[in-house]
Amino acid sequence: MKKLLRRLVLLGAIAGGIYAVRSYLRGGTAATESVQIVFDDGSTRSLASNTAEGREFADIARSIVEIGL
Amino acid sequence: MTEQSGAETSGALDRVLTELRALSEDIESCAVLSGDRDLLSSSHASAVDRERAGALLAALADLSNGAAREGGKDYASQVRIGTEAGHLLLVRLDGGGVLAATTGPDARVGLVLYDMRNTRGEVDRILAEGNEQ
Repeated sequence: MKKLLRRLVLLGAIAGGIYAVRSYLRGGTAATESVQIVFDDGSTRSLASNTAEGREFADIARSIVEIGL
Repeated sequence: MTEQSGAETSGALDRVLTELRALSEDIESCAVLSGDRDLLSSSHASAVDRERAGALLAALADLSNGAAREGGKDYASQVRIGTEAGHLLLVRLDGGGVLAATTGPDARVGLVLYDMRNTRGEVDRILAEGNEQ
């Protein structure tokens, strides 16, 4: 029983480590903002705010939302 | 467009935007940007705030049209941007202008966009009549 518990703790530590490294390599920022564009032909494009293009949209949008229209 | 017809157009747009806000309670502010990137109607009373909001809105409209051209499309017909503070929604008008609205973070965005698309026809009609005069 003790051995199994130790293995579970070790497994959890490894999983946590992998998640931390992945987050660090991705830049550490989750995409809390999102951009969705619908084009004239009905097609849609989504941009995550942790991309350069998405960030540009989100930065302007945030300023507009703050000051209002 | 004469000065008088410009004032009539602006007044008519203000009325339509007031109706839109009454219809869609989640809308916190809304505006109309012309195809020439002039802010025709806005809830801001101060000229400085209007100018700033207009410039930011114009930049965003140009950015979304740039994204359309980049993907081989003609234009962006609708843009929806979610931020921590709320949403910014754009619906394209006939002459290349934009009907824009901001909402809080918990707004029913789909419903707001539905109301904006329904209002678009009325805004297009007012702008077309304003250009004829």
